[in-house]
Amino acid sequence: MPDWLAYVNDRLGHLAISQAESSQVREELAAHLEDNYLSLRAQGISESDAVRLTRDQVSSWQELRRDILAAKSEAFMQNRVSQLWIPGLVTLFSAYAVLALMQLAGLRAMVSHPGEPRGIVLYLPWMLSLPLIGAIGAYLSRRAQASGWRVYFAASLPALALGVFFLLIFPLAFVLDPHVPFRIKGTALAAMMVNWVILPAFALCLGVALQSLRKTPEARS
Amino acid sequence: MIRTELKRGTAELAILSVLEQQPLHGYEISRRIALDSGGALSFTLAALYPLLYRMENRGWLRGEWETSDNGRRRRCYNLLPRGRKMLAPLRAEWADLFRAMRRIAKVNHA
Repeated sequence: MPDWLAYVNDRLGHLAISQAESSQVREELAAHLEDNYLSLRAQGISESDAVRLTRDQVSSWQELRRDILAAKSEAFMQNRVSQLWIPGLVTLFSAYAVLALMQLAGLRAMVSHPGEPRGIVLYLPWMLSLPLIGAIGAYLSRRAQASGWRVYFAASLPALALGVFFLLIFPLAFVLDPHVPFRIKGTALAAMMVNWVILPAFALCLGVALQSLRKTPEARS
Repeated sequence: MIRTELKRGTAELAILSVLEQQPLHGYEISRRIALDSGGALSFTLAALYPLLYRMENRGWLRGEWETSDNGRRRRCYNLLPRGRKMLAPLRAEWADLFRAMRRIAKVNHA
């Protein structure tokens, strides 16, 4: 009997999906071809005709590869929404809603060097709430079967979004305030990145780590 | 476009209907459809698997690897509750379509 797995590997070429998923697809297609071949042989069809008829199951391997990738990428798009964007938006809005409420309640930030660009601004109660918000984001992301970087991305979106925003508006400072030296602008950017991106991201990721310590129902049983 | 959607709709209903009776692996699905339709419908490998993966992504089916007594591994597809729910509206759509075609094209049952 022909080696149908080798045949599929040879014809299908590279599938731009995970290695494990690609192996499963190949094995499944090879199993189908094998069953088809064995069925034809059982009907008394000669070996050469059975091989030919089985190969006729796929008229264009290129088209099949494209169709499989389209079907798999449909899942990728669906997963991206449920694993990244929904949990990410929940953490984003929760984090800034909590910050706004704390400011409305009159809670003041601790500032290390008031009035200086290198000042470190620390909203301690907000920072303490971030691990919980990060854990909620991680829970939602993992519930949608996410793992690895996707969970951290979803949970730390509030910090990442601000980081991107700061980097995008930084060049504007040169247009709006051309007389302020670069050193001062650079120091202010670095301080903002520490205050609003690095420290919050650390707190949110701490929530991800704490959430992963929680036993899953499968682990408990 | 209509042709493609029509073909996909036929295929989805056929797959869901055979899996409603029992879980089957890919080759068995195509064989059962050919058998039950008296050979009128047949699926090649190239037509079947992209559709199975799409239906699996939608949560209609779940494929699980099984090893038979002779040591062969096959991915067996089970109908999930969401897929079972799809059967009734799909059947109703097809019934409507047949009724409409019968009126327009004067097609009658043999």
